[in-house]
Amino acid sequence: MYESFVTKARALGTEVYRVDDPAAAKQLIEKLIREAGAKKVALVPAPLLDALDMEKVVSAARAELLTAGSVRKRADEADLGITTFDLAIAETGTLVQDATALDRRLVSMLPPVHLAVMPLDGLTATFRQAIANLAAGEIPGYLAFVSGPSRTADIERVLTIGVHGPGRLIVVFIDEQEGRGSR
Amino acid sequence: MSAKDLRQKSREALANENLGCALGRFSDSYVVSREEIYRGMDFQALREEVAGIKSGAALHMEELAARFQAAAEKRGAKVFRAATAQVAREYIARLAKERGVELIVKSKSMASEEMHLNDYLQEQGLNVAETDLGEWIIQLSCQKPSHMVMPAIHLSKEEVAAIFSKEMGREVEPDIPDMVKLARQELRKKFLAAGMGISGGNIAVAETGTVVMVTNEGNGRLTTSLPPLHVIIVGLEKLVPRFTDVAPILEVLPRSATAQHITSYVTMITGPVPAEGLDGREYPKKELHIVLLDNGRTRMAADPVFREALQCVRCAACLNVCPVYQLVGGLFGDVYTGGIGAVLTAFFTNPEKAGEIQNLCLRCERCRDFCSGNIDLPGLIGELRRRTVQKEGMSAGQRLIFEKVLADRRLFHSLLRLAAKAQKPFARGGRIRHLPLFFAGLTEGRVLPAIADRPFRDLADSLPGPQSAGAAADERAEAASGVRTAGMSVGGRVAAAPGGRAAGVPAAGGRAGAATGGQASGAAADERAGVASVSALRPAAPRQKVGFFSGCLIDFVYPQTGVAVQKVLTALGMEMVTPAAQSCCGYPAQQVGLPDVAAKLARQNIAAFEAAGVDKIVTACPTCAEALKSLYPQLLAGEKEWSARAQAMADKVQDFSSFVHEHRDELPLNPQEQTFTYHDSCHLKRRLGVTAQPRELLAAAGGTIVEMSPADICCGFGGSYSIKFPEISQAVLGRKLQAVTGTGASVVAVDCPGCRLQIAGGLAHRGSPVEVRHTAEILAERLKK
Ligand code: SF4
Repeated sequence: MYESFVTKARALGTEVYRVDDPAAAKQLIEKLIREAGAKKVALVPAPLLDALDMEKVVSAARAELLTAGSVRKRADEADLGITTFDLAIAETGTLVQDATALDRRLVSMLPPVHLAVMPLDGLTATFRQAIANLAAGEIPGYLAFVSGPSRTADIERVLTIGVHGPGRLIVVFIDEQEGRGSR
Repeated sequence: MSAKDLRQKSREALANENLGCALGRFSDSYVVSREEIYRGMDFQALREEVAGIKSGAALHMEELAARFQAAAEKRGAKVFRAATAQVAREYIARLAKERGVELIVKSKSMASEEMHLNDYLQEQGLNVAETDLGEWIIQLSCQKPSHMVMPAIHLSKEEVAAIFSKEMGREVEPDIPDMVKLARQELRKKFLAAGMGISGGNIAVAETGTVVMVTNEGNGRLTTSLPPLHVIIVGLEKLVPRFTDVAPILEVLPRSATAQHITSYVTMITGPVPAEGLDGREYPKKELHIVLLDNGRTRMAADPVFREALQCVRCAACLNVCPVYQLVGGLFGDVYTGGIGAVLTAFFTNPEKAGEIQNLCLRCERCRDFCSGNIDLPGLIGELRRRTVQKEGMSAGQRLIFEKVLADRRLFHSLLRLAAKAQKPFARGGRIRHLPLFFAGLTEGRVLPAIADRPFRDLADSLPGPQSAGAAADERAEAASGVRTAGMSVGGRVAAAPGGRAAGVPAAGGRAGAATGGQASGAAADERAGVASVSALRPAAPRQKVGFFSGCLIDFVYPQTGVAVQKVLTALGMEMVTPAAQSCCGYPAQQVGLPDVAAKLARQNIAAFEAAGVDKIVTACPTCAEALKSLYPQLLAGEKEWSARAQAMADKVQDFSSFVHEHRDELPLNPQEQTFTYHDSCHLKRRLGVTAQPRELLAAAGGTIVEMSPADICCGFGGSYSIKFPEISQAVLGRKLQAVTGTGASVVAVDCPGCRLQIAGGLAHRGSPVEVRHTAEILAERLKK
């Protein structure tokens, strides 16, 4: 299932990584921030990220973590945004996020690069399965399905990346989470 | 728009080379990548599932709307039911003014286009920015979107650069990535400054009050996230009952729209969510208004025929594969374009205009195979045409032709005979540039074959044999003595010497009895008898008695096809008869919206073939086959006595190639190597589902087939279409001819006399030596002597 996700997501232009545990995740994310040349980073707190001690990771990557001020400004200023996703769909290479909270919507959309962090056990086989799972509970206020970077083909049908949303989408899967063990 | 304006506009559109090229190229690659993306999926099953959901929803539209409203309001949204575009516009404008909104950002919404929302808001002094790149370009250049999915597909990058330069007040280079970046920067400013966002919706779920939206650029995400006030406009046809219904619809929509598994963003909004005001104030819940737009949808749902159009998911596949749309773009339609556009225009935006634009449909029926909602779009357009004619009538001249001439077989046939004589001074080498009478107009820009000196109905009485008179005499003798020899390729032929009927006719039973008079009076006698046919010595023990439905084109323009059919069937040991009382199949009358005339012709033809007492009915014209097989039972369904007779006839009908293919093992062929390319006639492929049979027969006759690409695009004939819109017809033909000559084959095989007329005419006009021949003729030539 993971393999098929990777194939589909890469075909859409998503960059896919997988690490065993939080320690490896920290190293990788630091490297990714640095390689992206990001100077300002915005993120949305979540248990998965808290466990990674992101403040340290960002500063180790020699970037500034934006925390103060309005979320609109922060998200618009950042070179790179980090949020967590809940589900991934292997069939289509899609990431799914409950984006009801405003910061999650803006941090995942406004900066030119987005880094999604995702527990591996959120992987689902098919789109239908994902919809059926969601239908079983209360539908969140704002559900975001993201498949690859923002794209357009509106001028002469030439595919161009990064119109309104991020031009780069990176996802880091973490196999094993602190206190939960691997699955 | 009058018919004249439409024709003038179509000329202009055709003159716009960029449009035709961009759309044509897109269409070719679209078909390929769409097929790729559906690989391994059962498209038919999937679209039936979608059609089931949407047709059920259309039946319960009001109930779903009420459930949706309740669910969405429970989650905190405000739902406004707008009966018309006008009240919807007013509602939105009032809201913006009351909240002191200075700038509105919009993501793509066809419903907002339908209500001409931007113009209205601007009239009200409100500032609106489209944020979908294509829509923004269209807005800046004050144009109308030409395509539901790709609004600016008709513009080149140079044109876009010029539009941007004007907007920016500085020179913008026609570099696509740079221009996209520029759009990002400019529109980002607007997103951050906007007080209101307006978006559309692709699906509205009644049980949860959720609106689903698909976009690729992400502008939809920003429109629905940044401004603290959000308005969703969604048509009632987007309602579905359950949340799980979203899955099949989203499985077809992006695949059919842009050949993607899924769009970059799929957003599902259920009730208001937190927002931040322009002043930095935080709102735990923003203001969310959902405008549920009726504007003709309830009326459409109440219409037993057009209700089907509510199954549409707006994938635009029907535009992408439409040969007319490829050439004239947005002209084929109004706010909504293409085939579905004609239908939606009739109910949502401009009923009068719909009456005109439906005329642009060629009736090639290609769209039906691709429709994600499993809609019989050609059928709906036919109905639109019928209603238009019923309401507005057609020109007196045209009506006269169909009602007085076509419906009266004798008159029609004598006029054609007269035409054959009258054309003499104009015909050159068997081809003609100007036809007299009502075929005038057909000759524009194309060389037409002359009407045959002797129609097939006359030849069928006196088929000359390919052999010498001696051989023919031998055949007569053999036939008369009831012996059928293996080498006798045309056993059923009387092979009369010119000028007189064979003396030894026939041991062939009473049916051939008419053929006893002299040639001159023979036809008249046949007409009296009701069964002309039978030139025919039957094969000694005919396996089947096959009635031949010739159709007007084979009868009067390509009698050689009829002769070939007779040779092939006889070689198979069949007795072929051609009832003289048969007339036009009626399809053209149906096509122009005169079902009464078509029904009259149907009854005549049914009676003619009943009188002939045949086991099977074969036709070498797919349009006639479709008329006999599907149209007649449909036309006469309400008539007690006739409906069973129509069905009985329909059950006997088969197209030539399929019939022969079933008996191919017994066909005495003498294969000769030759390279052909094969043109799939629209009706044969799409209505009758026949593609392999003629190819296999040609291969059995020694032929090698070089496929053209694409093989199945329409030749542009479309019956009377070529009279109404000769320019479009010609341009569609142009694409076809390119495909033909691209194969290098010297002969195009076809199974349809209409396609032959069109393609051969085009080739001759361009001075091409490539020949067009009916499959029957190619086979007949290769029969063992
Ligand atoms: S009519 Fe069918 S093919 Fe055309 S847009 Fe609607 S769903 Fe798509």
